[in-house]
Amino acid sequence: MSIEINLSRSNRTYHPNEALEGKIIAKVASSISHQGIKLKVKGSVHLQVRGGSAGVIESLYGVVRPMPILKKVFDVQPSGRIGSGMVEIPFSVRLRDPGEDNVEKMYETFHGGNISIQYFVTVDVVRGYLQKSLTATVEFIIESEKDNLPERPVSPEMVIFYITQDTQRHALLPELKSGGFRVSGRMSTHCSLADPICGELTVEASAVPIQSIDIHLMRVESILVGERIASEPSLVQTTQIADGDICRGMTLPIYIIIPRLLTCPTIFAGPFSVEFKMIITITFQSELSKMQAKSEPLTPKLWLAMESLPLELVRTM
Amino acid sequence: MGLKLRRRNYIEEKEEEASHSLRRFPSKINPLSSPSPLSQNKFVGIQDVKDNFTDPLRRLDRGTDTTQRDSRDDEFYFKAGILSEPSVQFPAKEWISFRKILLQKFPISKMIRVSSISSSIMKHGNVNEKSTINTHLEELDDPQRFTEVGIKLISQQDYFSCLNELKEEIRRAWHGDDRVTSLKLSIKVGRLLMDTSVEQFYPKLFLLATDIFDMLGELVWERIRQKAEYAENGSTIFSFPDNFKASDISSEAKETCGNWFSKIGAIRELLPRIYLELAILPCCRFVHDDPTDILQRLVMMTRGIGNPLASAYCRLYIVHRAQRVPQCGIGYLVTCINDLKILLYNIASTKEDRFSNFSGNRRLLLSLIEPTIEYTMKTVLKDSDQTRISEILVGLGLGKKQGDLFGQCACISIVLYHLLKELPIEVICSNAVGIFNLIEYNNDPSFDQCLNYQLLGFRLCERISQVYQFQEVANKVIQVVTCYSRLDEYLKIIDAYLDIIMKMDGYMKVILDGIFEHTSSKEVGDSELTSLQSIILKLLTYFDNIKDMLALEHFVDIIGAMRGSSRTTISLQILRMASRTPFLQDTTIIQFIYEVCQAIHDGMDISNSRSEEYQQATHLVSRFVNMVDYGPKVEQHLTFLVECRGSLGGFSELREPLVHLSNRLAINVMKNGNTISLVKSCLAFSEVTIPSVPVHIRQLNLYLETAEVALLGGLVSHFDGLVDSAVRCLENLSGFDGLQKSNDLAMITSLLCKLCSLMVLAPGKEDQGVTYLARRILSFLTSESGVFPKMKILVLCALVSSLAASCQNLPPYHAIQGEVVAYLQNALSLSDVLVQNMQAAILQEPSQAVRGQLALEACNCIASSFSASRETSAICSSLMETAKSSLSVDDKYLTSSLKFLGKYQDVLRVQGEQTHEL
Repeated sequence: MSIEINLSRSNRTYHPNEALEGKIIAKVASSISHQGIKLKVKGSVHLQVRGGSAGVIESLYGVVRPMPILKKVFDVQPSGRIGSGMVEIPFSVRLRDPGEDNVEKMYETFHGGNISIQYFVTVDVVRGYLQKSLTATVEFIIESEKDNLPERPVSPEMVIFYITQDTQRHALLPELKSGGFRVSGRMSTHCSLADPICGELTVEASAVPIQSIDIHLMRVESILVGERIASEPSLVQTTQIADGDICRGMTLPIYIIIPRLLTCPTIFAGPFSVEFKMIITITFQSELSKMQAKSEPLTPKLWLAMESLPLELVRTM
Repeated sequence: MGLKLRRRNYIEEKEEEASHSLRRFPSKINPLSSPSPLSQNKFVGIQDVKDNFTDPLRRLDRGTDTTQRDSRDDEFYFKAGILSEPSVQFPAKEWISFRKILLQKFPISKMIRVSSISSSIMKHGNVNEKSTINTHLEELDDPQRFTEVGIKLISQQDYFSCLNELKEEIRRAWHGDDRVTSLKLSIKVGRLLMDTSVEQFYPKLFLLATDIFDMLGELVWERIRQKAEYAENGSTIFSFPDNFKASDISSEAKETCGNWFSKIGAIRELLPRIYLELAILPCCRFVHDDPTDILQRLVMMTRGIGNPLASAYCRLYIVHRAQRVPQCGIGYLVTCINDLKILLYNIASTKEDRFSNFSGNRRLLLSLIEPTIEYTMKTVLKDSDQTRISEILVGLGLGKKQGDLFGQCACISIVLYHLLKELPIEVICSNAVGIFNLIEYNNDPSFDQCLNYQLLGFRLCERISQVYQFQEVANKVIQVVTCYSRLDEYLKIIDAYLDIIMKMDGYMKVILDGIFEHTSSKEVGDSELTSLQSIILKLLTYFDNIKDMLALEHFVDIIGAMRGSSRTTISLQILRMASRTPFLQDTTIIQFIYEVCQAIHDGMDISNSRSEEYQQATHLVSRFVNMVDYGPKVEQHLTFLVECRGSLGGFSELREPLVHLSNRLAINVMKNGNTISLVKSCLAFSEVTIPSVPVHIRQLNLYLETAEVALLGGLVSHFDGLVDSAVRCLENLSGFDGLQKSNDLAMITSLLCKLCSLMVLAPGKEDQGVTYLARRILSFLTSESGVFPKMKILVLCALVSSLAASCQNLPPYHAIQGEVVAYLQNALSLSDVLVQNMQAAILQEPSQAVRGQLALEACNCIASSFSASRETSAICSSLMETAKSSLSVDDKYLTSSLKFLGKYQDVLRVQGEQTHEL
């Protein structure tokens, strides 16, 4: 005796003004009676405060109460029977009626470290006393409506950057200080989620051989806790663009495909915000780095040069 | 009443015979004269040399025995399924042949040095259990870079079996619908390519890894294609034309495709990311219509790989995979080569000690990278027309604009080499001087400049008719070549441009002077000899006439400076040239060629008389000796023969022609009526030389030939001596060792028959009894076990006929003097014995048909040699019975013999009637 939900789209992605469609599939050995089949659609923002810039006291609170975004119940079938064998019950429910007030904005699905925005659909077959109701839950993904989105291409906002020994705010190896280096480039800071992050980078000079150049895609999740904002950056993805001591003066392309689910359009909501940024790190070859094998890639080190760039992600057509 | 020899009237019989014998005509063509074998061989040598030169680096490897071992290894790899033939249908012919070359090019030691990263991947590759694999994968997914240094050794076999297992695992996972694992394992393979500490093994590793990537690429392509072609319920959405557009593809398929690209885009490390994107590159067609930007980006991404070897091979994979994508243009290839150029500049300008990874060996690094340049260059210039080539050249920075190509442009010389190799011949020929300047301008340690000059020369000579700037080119060559002080470089360049130089008057002398100057001051080394050999061979082909060659200054000196096998090759070629003329009369040429022959003789391993070279040499030398003609100066000619016998003694096969020649000389002397003493000298020469001829049968033949010559000259005592030697020689053929071949036996038989016929003229010396020789032959026949019945009977017949002829009242020649009666008695008693022997021998013949033939032979001989009598009749009848029982009734020989014997019987009957009347 089992029940499951099959959504109409294999990627389970829907827009807020679309109908959520699919089938309820029940497999029962012999026909059973029920008191109605209900479909619940629920969406919420889960916030969790820990570490980061949150204080000790705030972190004690732990989980902040989840913020509901969406909660609806639909009757798919009134009470009756489900015949034996496999029974398919199609459904189509509107997530939001056209005239409905936007009480709470339907944010895009996001699986972050401290913040997660999730949507679920649950089917319940209620079966009276002493009988366990049959139930199944599936997560579906919400992407912003296409209607009110800007068209691609997004205005190409490129930021030009220079990384030299003088732009670093932490201590560097003496040979780096004296020998000097200069890495320049440009990168888009306003990016469509559907497009890769583009840019280019050139090592103009470097006295010390380079070991690696990486671009770290970071997210910064901030939560309003009382009067304070607890925000924590975390690493989403690292992309290496140079491996080893590369030729000077050659332009390297920066091309990063934005990972789905782990990113979403930049959000500034009242109680929380999700922002993104990029950190370019240049690792220089050094005997010292070999001593310290594994550590957090973004802690400033003597053989590391870094540059942080803002990144605004948007959903486009 | 015993046997009696028949009386005959030769004069009458001769007249009778002449009436029904065929007329004879002299033939103009001598069927035995050997056709010159040179015309076909003429160019072979040169061609070979050319092949050797086009790729100097490969030539270096040829010396080692590694190729052989490698090819065996390859077989193993193919068998093991690691290197399966690519299962793709796009033009992969070049790629397959390129793979083969690459595999053979770099010898691999049994143990491979790998870094700890690879070894950790390898270690886990062995494990089949899924859980462990997953844990290891997690380890590998650790974004922290493996920083521990440390080289480990792993055996080649292990490495291969690990890769093989990985490949199988990927395939299994894919078919088990666990595509994520397939991808993860492929990323592992990609990480292996980051480790270049394997050095010489890297090309092979590259091939093995890309084989896996190709496989993955095909699987992904197939999956997305199916998604685009069929809906989930199996109905066809879209049937695929070859030139489909991205807009034709369903969004479902596009999304899957996009997922693959973003999955791969999430790989942290650059190198595996590029390789895997390349693996699924063909799939970009499902999403984009224009792949040029993608390729351009991938080429640029490769710039981020600092390791020169890894980045060069990564570019190679780009070039390979791009061929799977239509309409990708050539822009990316030009960028690729330009990037390679920068990379190579860096290698060339870096101090040697920077290549710690390559044991300080820049040469090794360059040789490992070279195949990638070669393949890329081939792909760029494949099927290019004139305008596209100009575009490419401008793109490569080898010209400011179209029409103004080459000249002083920077281009690293190793790239230049492969460019010159692949450029169409027309472009090379019409820009010869420009390319000269280009080579001159680009001299760096990445490649030997001299080899670039050499290549240009060879390419120009490929189609010399299209070279217009002869004068300029020749001037340039002279100008360039004078800068080279090293002999091998000097010779290499001269060799390459020789065809052009020879077309220009006056330059030949300069070149020969130069070579002479270089060779006389220094010892000529092995590599120089090869070039020198090639140069001389070209000259020989060009001149085609020994006299013109000898007229060249220093030519003889230069040849003199050569040694070893090159010298022999040249000498043989000269001999070949010489043997094209029907005869040689010029004494200087004869002397020169004689010295050439001596050089061959002295430079050759005489002991190995089976080698082809030796055979060829003896053939050519004897041909030369045959061609020499001193005309009326017989003495000089004889002296020449004596000299040849002395100094060319190592060629034992030469002695036989020498005897023939001296015999011919003797006959010529007789014809011209010169003094008999010269004839005697010739005969003496022959007589002395014959015993040194290695084969006894040939000795026998030569003795008989010389005896005939002596007889012709009327020198009976010489003749007797020679016949005696011949018989002794015959007796020395003891046991017929090694003469069991039917050819030899037939030869001996015919020689013996000839000897018998000579005996008619001179049956033997009186003091030993007149039938002395005949008896010796008989005893030879009976005592030798190797004599077959057939041979025995044929010789016995000849002996009987010979005896019968000698015993005539009017013998054909008046050679017998002395006691005729005694001779007759002797002959008669001997013939009795001969006939008995004959009868016995016929019964020994095992083959029935042959026995019949032989019986007829004997019967005819007896019937014609002996006068009719009961005994002869009885013998003949019994022989006829044998013949009849062995042969079919309608055998022609049998019927004609029966007819002949019928006449004989008639004679006998008449005689019988006469006796009755008495």
